[in-house]
Amino acid sequence: MIKINTYLIEFAINSILREKTKNLFIFIVFTMLIFLLSSIFLITASLQKELNITADSLPDIILQKMNAGRVSDIDINRVDKILEINGVNNSVSRVWGYYYFENAGINFSVVGIDQFETQYKKSLESITLKHDFSELEDFMVVGSGVKKVLEKNYYKDYFNFIKPDGTFKKIQIKAIFDSATNLESNDVILVSKDTAYDIFGINENKATDIVVNVSNKKEVATIAYKIKMLFPDTRVITKEDLKISYTNIFNYKSGMFLSLFIISLFTFFMIIYDKSSSLSSSAKREIGILKALGWKTDDILKEKFYESFLISFTAYIVGIGISFIYVYIFQAPFLRDIFMGYSVLKPQFNLIFAYDLKIFAMIFFLSIPIYISATIFPSWRASIVDADEVIR
Amino acid sequence: MITFTNILKEYKINNETIVALNNINMHIKKGQLVVLKGASGSGKSTMLSLMASLCKPTSGEVIIKDTKISKLSDNFSSQFRQENIGFIFQKYNLIPNINVIDNIILPLIPTNPNEEFLNTRLKEVMKLFNIEHKKNIIVKNLSGGEQQRVAIARAMINDPDIILADEPTANLDEKLSLSFIQTLKELKALGKTIVVATHDPLFFNLDFVSKTINMKNGNIIDYGNIID
Repeated sequence: MIKINTYLIEFAINSILREKTKNLFIFIVFTMLIFLLSSIFLITASLQKELNITADSLPDIILQKMNAGRVSDIDINRVDKILEINGVNNSVSRVWGYYYFENAGINFSVVGIDQFETQYKKSLESITLKHDFSELEDFMVVGSGVKKVLEKNYYKDYFNFIKPDGTFKKIQIKAIFDSATNLESNDVILVSKDTAYDIFGINENKATDIVVNVSNKKEVATIAYKIKMLFPDTRVITKEDLKISYTNIFNYKSGMFLSLFIISLFTFFMIIYDKSSSLSSSAKREIGILKALGWKTDDILKEKFYESFLISFTAYIVGIGISFIYVYIFQAPFLRDIFMGYSVLKPQFNLIFAYDLKIFAMIFFLSIPIYISATIFPSWRASIVDADEVIR
Repeated sequence: MITFTNILKEYKINNETIVALNNINMHIKKGQLVVLKGASGSGKSTMLSLMASLCKPTSGEVIIKDTKISKLSDNFSSQFRQENIGFIFQKYNLIPNINVIDNIILPLIPTNPNEEFLNTRLKEVMKLFNIEHKKNIIVKNLSGGEQQRVAIARAMINDPDIILADEPTANLDEKLSLSFIQTLKELKALGKTIVVATHDPLFFNLDFVSKTINMKNGNIIDYGNIID
């Protein structure tokens, strides 16, 4: 059994403490780099988890009418034709849109629902089962983010929408929307379909889009193709297409950060290497003394390994620990906005807890072994010189 | 015990070859105390470096305890030093910003010694060289004489058969130098083989010195009187 040489570890700790200022500086820079990269990956993992949950709740296919390359309202009678396609489970026309609330400078997603229609996603189904809106003329169910924003602007029980003709439409808040994820529910306002038509000024024979659910998920692509053939003027988007586009956006952003990180890490190691390769005369002398006292080159390298491992591994653990606190307790101020893009237009939401151990392993292998090599190599060069030459 | 055969040692400095030792032949028996005498640059320190296997001769052979140490690899040289040599350097070569204990145990650290053995040995050498009361003091805060005692204690911690001392009294006043000479006498009495490189006249007419080797310009010019 290999016995750990605690004296050597103690000596390494002493050596770190003897060069307090230098080692503290390296530790801080190293911790910052690890913190930054870890935070980026935690934010990405959290947003991806959030988006995956959101994407899973989306309908299998979304149909949009295109006119001159822009999305326009679609005829609701197309729903019946889609239902005739074999394999289609249900098809519903949707009336929804973004409502800009000028006072707060943010967008709400206003979605029209029909109590008696088949709901295309579970969260809406649970709302219609939980509440009876059939007796109410106008109502709204809001996400928690919306509720907070409205309360801040003195709308506790109702909200006045401004219609396209400039007149007001006062609607009572009936309930708070409750969903598994923030992104799905936070900025949403549910209203009756009639109200949605009224708020957005959409013709009642039209809809914003049509959603389709398919019984056998393996047939989604085939059915999407059939719909496209049936209505060539439409854009047919599958759930998979959306997932890929979400993933691409985050991979692109985290890829950019990863590149920046690698450049900064490379610069850091170059500085470390440059500093260490011209070991100070006292450091060289110390290596010479140890050699003269019977230390083998291996012993010196082991000691240097412990030194650099203790610094880099502690920085790694601290960096990752701080990143968890920064992302999940403080909700990643500044960095989150970069990843969310124009998030100021949306109500605030919380980053949900998600992490990927493979990412932490990657950060570990990208940083610690390189740092250790950058510091050990110069010591090795000093230790292979005759001790006599160094201590004279 | 220590044999030099046809030793040539050259150094290259700025493309210039300097002969530090030239055709040295010498033998030191076990238990002898030998003084290497000569002016600065005469080759005394190089002789000690070769005995400690801190460097290799350009040609010739150094044999210590039947081992051709001039042929040993770097790692075996270190191991040989660790097991057999106690070196007292001219400038002590202590690590200035760690304490007395941490300096003394340095030669034993790579061997990962048993704690009980280490503590016993540490107490013995600190007591022998009267440094126990300073054991937790940072070495740079000690006086020159105290630093030298730490250096001797460190050289003795691995209980070596051979003790090499390079100009050990160069930084000491006469009182401390005489005290050091007394220590050497005690070490010789313990059966240690001791080689001292010095030009301090205090060493030249000591009754317990086995022989005095006089050096000049890398050559031995006089083997002196052999006492034992």
